[in-house]
Amino acid sequence: MATASHVVSQPRSSMLGARIREAGWGYGFVVVPIVVFGLFFVYPFGYALYISFFHWGILGKQSGGAGTFNYAKVIHDPVFHTAVKNVLEYTVGVVPLTMALGLSLALVINQKIHGRNFFRSAFYFPSIASSVAITTIALYIFNANGLFNHIIGSRTPWFQNAPTVMWAIVGLNSWTSAGTAMLYYLAALQSIPTDVYEAAAVDNTGAWRTFWKITFPLLRPAHFFILVVFGIGALKLFDQAFIVSNGLGGPNYSTYTPVFYIYRTAFTTFDFGLAASAGVVLFVIIFALTLVQRLTVGRQEAS
Amino acid sequence: MTLQTVAAAESFIPRRARAEVTRRVFFYAVIALVALLFFVPFIYTLTTSFKTLPDAANVTFIPHPWTTSGWHTIWTQYDFKTYIKNSVFLAVVVTVCNIFLGGLGGYAFARLKFPGRELLFLLVLGTIMVPDQLRLIPVFVMLTNWHLIGNFSGYILINLVTATNLFFMRQYFLTIPKDFEEAAKLDGAGYFKTFWRIMLPLALPAISALVILQFQGTWNDFFWPLILFGQGNPAHYTIQLGLAELNFQYGVLWPEICAGSIIAILPILAIFLAFQRYFISGVVSAGVKG
Repeated sequence: MATASHVVSQPRSSMLGARIREAGWGYGFVVVPIVVFGLFFVYPFGYALYISFFHWGILGKQSGGAGTFNYAKVIHDPVFHTAVKNVLEYTVGVVPLTMALGLSLALVINQKIHGRNFFRSAFYFPSIASSVAITTIALYIFNANGLFNHIIGSRTPWFQNAPTVMWAIVGLNSWTSAGTAMLYYLAALQSIPTDVYEAAAVDNTGAWRTFWKITFPLLRPAHFFILVVFGIGALKLFDQAFIVSNGLGGPNYSTYTPVFYIYRTAFTTFDFGLAASAGVVLFVIIFALTLVQRLTVGRQEAS
Repeated sequence: MTLQTVAAAESFIPRRARAEVTRRVFFYAVIALVALLFFVPFIYTLTTSFKTLPDAANVTFIPHPWTTSGWHTIWTQYDFKTYIKNSVFLAVVVTVCNIFLGGLGGYAFARLKFPGRELLFLLVLGTIMVPDQLRLIPVFVMLTNWHLIGNFSGYILINLVTATNLFFMRQYFLTIPKDFEEAAKLDGAGYFKTFWRIMLPLALPAISALVILQFQGTWNDFFWPLILFGQGNPAHYTIQLGLAELNFQYGVLWPEICAGSIIAILPILAIFLAFQRYFISGVVSAGVKG
């Protein structure tokens, strides 16, 4: 009460002063983040578009615009086609496999078993370990004379062989990221009300049937979320493709991905204009997918 | 009638219990098998790092003989000391900057009133949508023009604060009751002092999560160090770049490569074991937010 009368009795100019002071501190607190975001996110967004319409080399912009030259070149470049084909194959392989593995792990962890926290951590750990180190270990285990071939009795150099390398990366990355999918599925499983299962138990429904008729459909939002998040991540494949091919994209372009194409175009052929336009094309694809996710999730929440 | 029901129930219960035991044994078997799949690669890498080069070609889990020569070589000959120092330096600086600036910005967006706040916050959220692959070329061109390629300041500058971290801090500050700040104000504390002495300590759980996730992110980062330091002086290599280089140049030196991989993984394993719940809750809350 005392404070209230104190505030009321203050002259108006001082209240205005307090508001200006608060605003001043507010701007002061956000100025560095805003400058960083403006300079390294918002401005580059426009700058990338700008560069994509010029012939832009190691020495900078060349005189005269390029029009849509770079876009036409990217869209008709057989190497870019190969990169897109590779990453689509990879995505179609890795996303369902990661989801299936993640869901299986989540179902196991969700049981009342001893040491579930331990197993949960063990399955999750590869997700946060260095991608370079994990890929290096995979190169060792899957080399022609390595542990894996020793077990299955083969001599295939999985990561040095054009027909197998992308599938080897599919296997590697679904193993690595299954733990993340598991955590998302666990959260979703734990949000399913138990009375649904009690009803199924009363009806004497078998475990297998309960899973397919009740659990699996109820996980739909989780399926969709994981599909989009991992799908976008898969389209950006770079580290593993770079490491297994010694940064060259081989053998015979089999490890080229769109991001790898951008990297090579910029830093081997120094064609920044072309690289920027490939970046824009990739962004449009990813942005469209994100929009689909936002819109669908929004609709689900509304209904 | 009643007796029959009881008898039926009696024979029914043991059968269910037996089924339950079978089910449990089955689950433990499956989970142990899967866990093996997750442990064996790491154990195999660890033991290979203590092998001699000829012995690394043998598919065995016990080195014969044991040697630390792989570790010794990467430490003395391949300069992993420098790579570790560089990675620790970058991870610490980037993490501290992100906590301070993300906290400061997050606090202002959560609590202080200033014209244009909502608009600026929209801009912050918008940056989450700009992928690295799009800003790669322009950022590289800008840093080249400013002569910030091949040294640490360029990397630190573009990673000073991320929108995700600022957003994360803001969401946490929104959950803290306003009483604390009002008390501080009555004591005559200014805005910065309130933030630094009251709000930041209260946000310790959020800061812990952020420290762990950001340190791990920077330590594991391969893309930007490759772009900014990859073409130049190995004195600026991070651990990930150094390991990749070792791979490319000496791809058959398995004991050295395995030792290098262990070094690249170990600090994150240590942090993970100490702070598991922050990792796991961080992932899940990010997932729920979408």
